[in-house]
Amino acid sequence: MDFTVIDGPTSTEIRLQGRMTFSDHDTFRSVIAAFDRPAGHRMVFDLSGLDFVDSSGLGMFIIARDTAQKKKLDFTMRGARDEVQRLITLAKLHKVFTIDA
Amino acid sequence: MEGSIETPASLYGLDLGLPLGDFRVLIADNSRFNRRTLARFLQWIGIDKVAFATDGPELMDQIEAFDPDLLMIDAQLPPIDGMALCRILRANPRWRDLPILMQSTRQTDQIRSLCFQAGATDLLAKPINPGECVARVRYHLERRAMVRELRAFHERVERDLKQARSMQLALVPDSEWLEAMAGRNGLRIDPVFQTSHEVGGDFWTAFEIGGGQVGVFVADLSGHGIASAINAFRLHTLLTRTPAEELRDPARLMTQLNQRLTDILTVGQFATAFYGVIDPARDTLLYAAAGAPNPLLGSRGGFRTLDASGMLLGAFADAEYETRVTRFLPGDTLFLYSDGLTEARDRSDTMLGELGLADLVEEAVRTAPEHPFPWLMARFAERFGTGLYDDLTALWIARDPL
Repeated sequence: MDFTVIDGPTSTEIRLQGRMTFSDHDTFRSVIAAFDRPAGHRMVFDLSGLDFVDSSGLGMFIIARDTAQKKKLDFTMRGARDEVQRLITLAKLHKVFTIDA
Repeated sequence: MEGSIETPASLYGLDLGLPLGDFRVLIADNSRFNRRTLARFLQWIGIDKVAFATDGPELMDQIEAFDPDLLMIDAQLPPIDGMALCRILRANPRWRDLPILMQSTRQTDQIRSLCFQAGATDLLAKPINPGECVARVRYHLERRAMVRELRAFHERVERDLKQARSMQLALVPDSEWLEAMAGRNGLRIDPVFQTSHEVGGDFWTAFEIGGGQVGVFVADLSGHGIASAINAFRLHTLLTRTPAEELRDPARLMTQLNQRLTDILTVGQFATAFYGVIDPARDTLLYAAAGAPNPLLGSRGGFRTLDASGMLLGAFADAEYETRVTRFLPGDTLFLYSDGLTEARDRSDTMLGELGLADLVEEAVRTAPEHPFPWLMARFAERFGTGLYDDLTALWIARDPL
């Protein structure tokens, strides 16, 4: 998995690309490092470049959400497609995550 | 601290690393003067377990008896030279890893290359520089100690994992017991349970609830290896402590397990799970799911997918689950599996996927109606190999026909 961080004054967009699996735990730690922002800041995961996530990938979404809650950040995900969208639906993540259309 | 006078011994013997007192060094040199000089250098760095050989035959005797950690050998040892002896020693598995420090007066690059080719670990030019000599001895002995430590660690972990693996395999029902239990209830349950590493995060079990009902639980703990195996054990413990009343109601069981697991698991850990209650008397299958791969239900009209979506188990404290019900008639089949099956990738990196699996199941039933499951798993192994990237569970549960 690769990622790009696009920083704005009130929001940060993180574009995730490729395949997000068990072996990306270290990469994901760097993604989480980008969550070091002031309370009220908006964090957005753009998943449109993501081809695949496995269950470890879902775990990383949950860690991101948890980190955002602890830092009082506003966390949303958007752009999931195909397999990624299928897995999010299967795990009913839309019930607990804010997912933008 | 008191000041000390710098003698050669304290300069060269500077104790920066591992204490070397337990190491044994064999010195093979035909010059008495050289033997004594080398032994004195070794003493500076705390090595006093030293043995000597003056020629080739003596070296071969001494090395067996003394069992050294390092051999210092003169390249011109009579009657055959050090290089030939080196080759002989390296041919013996016992001495393959022994550090061999060779001394030579001839210092052309060609000679040095020949020494290394013969199996010398390192070379010292004669006349010997004491500081360089002890530094190299120390380096090779420390390296040997580290390799030994690593090897011992590796062996210990391997033993532990082997034991953990047999414990994990013992978590799932014993095949004889399973056959008898299924048979009593008009069922046949064929399992495949494999871990990608020594231990893994897949777990399944089946049990009688009473009143002719049979419960089947399949779970996949997130992650791989030891951490997910530990969580699989935790889930198993929670499940075995669950009273029969809760086992009868799939959604209630999931809700209870979720609450208990949420307390135990760290953020980002969870299980996907499917729990079904087969009730032959009512021809029904009650089930609840937590984001598990969608099972396939085969009946006279072919196979269809059951919806196994649901909140991940152990991730969110307030998750709710629902019990769904479907007909499960005599002759019907329920196929449960973990994502190790659908997310497997073949040589061209194509994933099997749920649709691919459904096609494969249909083909199995068509091609090998008597033994669809073994046929299916054989085809799977053919295309995806047996070296798994993920743990794999697959359960083929068939109701006896009328």
